[in-house]
Amino acid sequence: MGFFSTRKHGNDGYLEGLLRGFRKGILTAADYANLRQCDNLEDMKLHLSQTDYGDFLAGEPSPLHTTTIAEKATQKLVNEFMHIRNQAVEPLATFMDYICYGYMIDNVVLLITGTLHERDVSELVDKCHPLGMFKSMATLSVVHNVADLYNMVLIDTPLAPYVQECLSEDDLDEMNIEIIRNTLYKAYLEDFYHYVNELGGQTSLIMNDILKFEADRRSINITINSFGSTELTKDDREKLYPAIGLLYPEGTAKLSKAEDVDTVRSILEVYSSYKSFFSEGGVSAETSLEDSFFKHEVQLNRMAFEDQFGYGVFYAYVKLREQEIRNIVWIAECISQNMKQKIDQFIPIF
Amino acid sequence: MAAKNMTENALVAVIGDEDIVTGFLLAGCGQKDKKKTENFLVVDNKTSISKIEQSFKNFTQRNDIAIILISQKIADEIRPLIDEYNQVIPTILEIPSKDHPYDPSKDSVMLKVKRMTGAD
Amino acid sequence: MSGKNRLNIFPTRMALTNMKSKLKGAITGHSLLKKKSDALTIRFRKILANIVENKQMMGATMREASFSLAAAKYAAGEFSNSVIENVTNPTIVVKMQTENVAGVHLPTFEKVSESAVSNSQELTGLSKGGQQIGKSRESHVKALEALIVLASLQTAFITLDEVIKITNRRVNAIEFVVKPRLENTINYIITELDESEREEFYRLKKVQGKKKKDLKAKEAAKSELLLQQNTPTVATPTSKPAHKVKSMIEDEQEEELIYE
Repeated sequence: MGFFSTRKHGNDGYLEGLLRGFRKGILTAADYANLRQCDNLEDMKLHLSQTDYGDFLAGEPSPLHTTTIAEKATQKLVNEFMHIRNQAVEPLATFMDYICYGYMIDNVVLLITGTLHERDVSELVDKCHPLGMFKSMATLSVVHNVADLYNMVLIDTPLAPYVQECLSEDDLDEMNIEIIRNTLYKAYLEDFYHYVNELGGQTSLIMNDILKFEADRRSINITINSFGSTELTKDDREKLYPAIGLLYPEGTAKLSKAEDVDTVRSILEVYSSYKSFFSEGGVSAETSLEDSFFKHEVQLNRMAFEDQFGYGVFYAYVKLREQEIRNIVWIAECISQNMKQKIDQFIPIF
Repeated sequence: MAAKNMTENALVAVIGDEDIVTGFLLAGCGQKDKKKTENFLVVDNKTSISKIEQSFKNFTQRNDIAIILISQKIADEIRPLIDEYNQVIPTILEIPSKDHPYDPSKDSVMLKVKRMTGAD
Repeated sequence: MSGKNRLNIFPTRMALTNMKSKLKGAITGHSLLKKKSDALTIRFRKILANIVENKQMMGATMREASFSLAAAKYAAGEFSNSVIENVTNPTIVVKMQTENVAGVHLPTFEKVSESAVSNSQELTGLSKGGQQIGKSRESHVKALEALIVLASLQTAFITLDEVIKITNRRVNAIEFVVKPRLENTINYIITELDESEREEFYRLKKVQGKKKKDLKAKEAAKSELLLQQNTPTVATPTSKPAHKVKSMIEDEQEEELIYE
C-alpha cells in the first residue's frame, strides 16, 4: 500500500495539491457572515470579489440576476475542473470522467425530452450542464426523432452501455422521462461503484461511503416522492432503486412496499446512519429530510479531504462547490426577494 | 341579477422569465399541442423585443386564451403595445417577477384605476 | 336662439301633444339611465377597491411563490428545463362565465382543475427535491388562483368602465341635448300658437269694427231713406242690393255678433 500510494502520489500529487489549493477557496463561515449582511446583489458581488471567486461577475450588466450568479459560479467550477481534468492521467482521468457522467445523464434526458417534443435540439445544447457535454453533441443538428437520437447520438456517448442495458429505442418514446432519468442514474451509480472498487485503496474507501449514501438517498427520495403517483407503480419503483448502498437489499425491498412517510420512517429506524434524519424533522419532516441529506452529504465529502492519496477529493470538491453555489444562490435569492428571515437555511461547508 | 352563461374552457398564457414560466407550468397551466404551439414564452436577455411582441399578438389573437400573464419587466418592453390593447378578452395581467417587485405606477390598468379614483 | 335648438316642426296642437309625450319619454329614459349608471358605478367602485387590494395582495402571493421556487431549486437543482420541455396538456384552465349587472354582461373567470398534477410533471424531482417542488407547485397554484380572481375583476373593470362611459354619455345627451331641444320645441309651438291666436283675435276685432261701421252706415242710410221717402215700396229694393254686397260675410258675421 505504501509503495502504491507513493507512486500514485507521483502522478497525481501535483493535481491533488492544486485541488487542495482550490479547496482553500471554499467560502468560510466568515465569508458567509459577510454575505448575509448584504443588502443587494451588488453588495454580494463586492463581497464575493474579496473571496476566491474574485472578479467572476465583472462585466455583468446591472442589475445582477441570481441566475447570472449561479451560471458564472458554475462556470468557475467547470473551469477549475477542466483545468485538472486536462492534466490528469489514467486512472484519475477516467475517474473524473465518471464524475461527468452524472451531469451527462441530465443532459441526455433533456435532449430526449426536447426531441420528443420536436424542439430544435441544437437550441437545447445551450441549456445543458457544461460538465455533462459530450463529443457527439455536435451531431445533434441532424437529429429529428427519437430513433435518430438513440442510434446516432446516445450510442456514441459514454452513457451508451447504460442506455443499451436498460432502455430500448421504444422506451424513450413511451416511458416517463423521470423514470428514464432515474433508470440511467441507477445504472451509472452502480457502474461508478464497481469502478471505484476496482481502483481500490483510499479511493474506494472514501467513494464507497459517498456512493452508498447517494444510492440510499435516491432510494428514499424516490419512495417518498412517488407516493400518490399514478405514473410510477410500486414494481417500477423498485426497479429504480440502485443495487448498492446500506439499504440494499433488505431496506429497498421494504421501501418498495411502503405507502406513506411513516412507513419509510420505521424502515429507516434500524439504520443507525439514517435514523436521526427523520427524528430531527418533527412535524415538517419532509423538508428537513432533504436538508439532513444535504448535511450528511457535505459531511461525507468533507471527510474525503481528511484523507490523502485517494481520488475521493476530486469528487468531493465538485460536490462541495456545488453545494456552495447553491448556498450563494440561496443567499442571493433571499436578498433579492427580501426574505432575509430565511437566509440562514443553507448548509455551511466548513 | 346574476344570470350566468356557460362557455367553454380557456387557457392561461404566460410570458415571463424562466422562473415565472417554470412556476406556472408546474402549477399546470401550460399547454403544447401537436403543432408545437405553446401558450407560454420564456424571455431571457437574448429574446428580442420583436419576438415578445409577436408572441403577445399571437396570444391575444388566439381564442382559446382567456388570460395572459405577463411579467411587468417584460410588459415595460412592449408597453406601447399593451397600452393600445383594448380587447376585453384575453385579459392582460401584469405580474411581478422575483427581482422586480410589483410597481403599481407602471401597470396600465392600475394607472386607469388611479386616474379614475383620482378624478372622481 | 330658440330657433336653432329645436326640432323643425310645424307648430300645431297635434305636434304639441306629440312633443309633450316625447319629453315625458325622455325624462323617464333619463331617470332610468341615471339609475343604471348609478348601479353600475356602485359596482364599479366596489371593483376598484377590490382591484387595488388584490393587486397588492398579488405582490405578496407572487413573492411567496417565486421564493418557493428558489427553495425548490435549492433542493432539486436546475429543473426548469425539464419542466418547460415536458409540457403537454394543461391541468388548470379557466371557465368563462358572464354575470349580468343591470343589463351588462360581465365576463368572469373561474378556475377549473382537471386533475391535481399532470402525468408528465408528476415525477419531476423524483430523486431529489420532489417535496420542495410539490410545495412550490402548490404555492404557484395558489398564486394562479389569485391571479384568475384578479383577471375577473380586471375584465369587469374594463367592461364596466366602457359601459359606464356610454351610459353617462347617454344620460348627458338626454339631459343637455334631447331634453332642451324638446322643451324648446314645445315652447316654440306654444308661442306660435299664442301668436296665431292673437293674430286671429286682432283680425276678428278688425272685422268686427269694420262690420259695426258698415252697420252704422247702413242704418244711418236706412233711417235717412225712411225719413226722405216714406213709401215701403221703395225701401225694399234699396235694402236688397245692400244685402247682396255683404251676403258672404254677413251671415256669419251676424251670428258672431250675437255672442259678442
